[in-house]
Amino acid sequence: MISGELILFFTLGILTTLLIAGLIRLNKVYRFNWLSWLLSGSGIFLILFAIAWSVSSVLEGEPRAASMGMVFFGIPALILILFARRVMMKSGSKKEVK
Amino acid sequence: MAKKRNKSIQKSDPDQMIGRRDFFKFGSAGAALGVVTVANLPKKVTANLADKKVKDSIIKEHDEFPNRVREDYKPHPSYGTAHGHGFFGGALRALGVNVDEECEEYGKKFIQHTNYDYEKGKKGVDQLSKAVESGAWALANFASGPMPGAVGDYGCMSWDNNDDKFPLGLMGQDFVQKEKYEFEDKKQAANAIKRAATLFGADLVGITKRDERWDFSVQFNPVPPLARKISPMGPKQFQKLNEIGGEGIHHAMESHTPDKWLHDIDKTAGFVPKSVIVMAFEMDYEAFSSAPSCVASAAAGEGYSRMTKVAHQMAVFFRQLGYHAIPSGNDTGLSVPYAIAAGLGEGSRMGTIVTYKYGPRVRIAKVYTDFDFTEYDKPKTFGVFEFCKRCKRCADACPGQAISFDNEPSFEPTHENKDNAFFNAKGVEKWYMDAKKCFKTWGELGNDCGACITSCPYNKPDFWHHQMVNSISAALPGPVHSFMREMDIVFGYGNTEDEEAVDKFYSPKGRKYNGH
Repeated sequence: MISGELILFFTLGILTTLLIAGLIRLNKVYRFNWLSWLLSGSGIFLILFAIAWSVSSVLEGEPRAASMGMVFFGIPALILILFARRVMMKSGSKKEVK
Repeated sequence: MAKKRNKSIQKSDPDQMIGRRDFFKFGSAGAALGVVTVANLPKKVTANLADKKVKDSIIKEHDEFPNRVREDYKPHPSYGTAHGHGFFGGALRALGVNVDEECEEYGKKFIQHTNYDYEKGKKGVDQLSKAVESGAWALANFASGPMPGAVGDYGCMSWDNNDDKFPLGLMGQDFVQKEKYEFEDKKQAANAIKRAATLFGADLVGITKRDERWDFSVQFNPVPPLARKISPMGPKQFQKLNEIGGEGIHHAMESHTPDKWLHDIDKTAGFVPKSVIVMAFEMDYEAFSSAPSCVASAAAGEGYSRMTKVAHQMAVFFRQLGYHAIPSGNDTGLSVPYAIAAGLGEGSRMGTIVTYKYGPRVRIAKVYTDFDFTEYDKPKTFGVFEFCKRCKRCADACPGQAISFDNEPSFEPTHENKDNAFFNAKGVEKWYMDAKKCFKTWGELGNDCGACITSCPYNKPDFWHHQMVNSISAALPGPVHSFMREMDIVFGYGNTEDEEAVDKFYSPKGRKYNGH
């Protein structure tokens, strides 16, 4: 039987692949240093975790836990990703894409 | 040949070449497929493997009972509880027991409220919720009667191990088979026992050796043997039976004099139990979220009804294997230490067991048997006791202030009724709950409260993220536990006296009653 949890993890699988693919693609444009990798990797992990947590909380019928999940994991994730973007823009030199 | 063909394509037609970009696309698709496949197997392989890894690192097995027990520890009689004094005061006086009058008063109040009272228009305690509660308790009330008050050998929980078949019984399967079934090995026996228990309706099962420390020192049963079989009946039926039965029935009822109310297990049951099968029954999360209310009591009552059903079924199962059995709920022995010994969970501040899967939201039943060719489970701990030291959410939530706020567990009660704590089994390292205060709250509320269970951070639905948090919590030191407790509050878990929880319980949202 297809449960909400199953759909959640199915979607997370696709999202994980797309985000990793996006990172690899970005790395071709901007040369990532270790800090960029760390920040963007952590940011992506936290984004995925926030989604997983919040959707699971909705599924179990705890809407407050879902919104707090977004606040506690989602906001730090966005900050990390924005910070990562800044670092990669600053330190990485843009390569030409053929 | 294929290799050659590819080479030729690459050389001859640049449009058909698999470039790095294409390869990346294929790679991504493959990776996606892989991730999706892995993500699609959470209940089969991946999650089971990850879950086992986490469990192995968090859950510790013990050879001995994990809580320290002082040498002078003595079990108390089955009537030595707040319930005993609350519900059977008259009978205990006839035995010469010094009855706690306050407990007796709380018991009377509780019986009046829980059986007959509801509040019009008040969510969770109105006629509807009372009806749900009564329906949930109905089977337990009918079939195991005084079992919640630690009086066993009644109805479905009968200690009768009939050696002979009953010739008039159409479905007379409740007798001890002459031939004893022989299992190939102990593991097979343990598996069969556990499989039978889960088939009948138990959610968790463990097997432990009988330990007389956890059996009541004496068993109290003021119900005449005949009434144990023919109850429940209303006053009219009772009168009619008296008329039909005449002196015989009357004599049977009257002859159960106080000197016959106390007995021990081995003599009455006619065998010496060697093993105890301990079963836990999950109580509904949403219903319990409304505690204290009749809806939460309904979840407890449903648990009691299942305890009655499954304990009886397990007893018949053992009898059909050729062994003797005593089905037991709250009676005969202390359920919490037996559940700990059988590896179902850990003790907690509030006195209940905390299981790995359902937290404290379980009820416990047991089956004593002389069958002993089986693998025994070992006690397991996973950080609950350490967490309890700092959490204290149950103590905060208790409307009767019955739960200890002490940081450390002790071997003696420390609460204000400690000098007359007849209800506490002293000498075990734990937090001692003031059962009298707890019972007073029951009397006032007219239901089984359950606020402590609802507020416990281990009381969560069975979802991956809670198991993860529990595992992290078990692996990390004390100060993190305080943080976890605060986060539990911030995230909105464990609220009590929450009228919205009652609405949520009845809400059709997200439910499919017709299965499609």
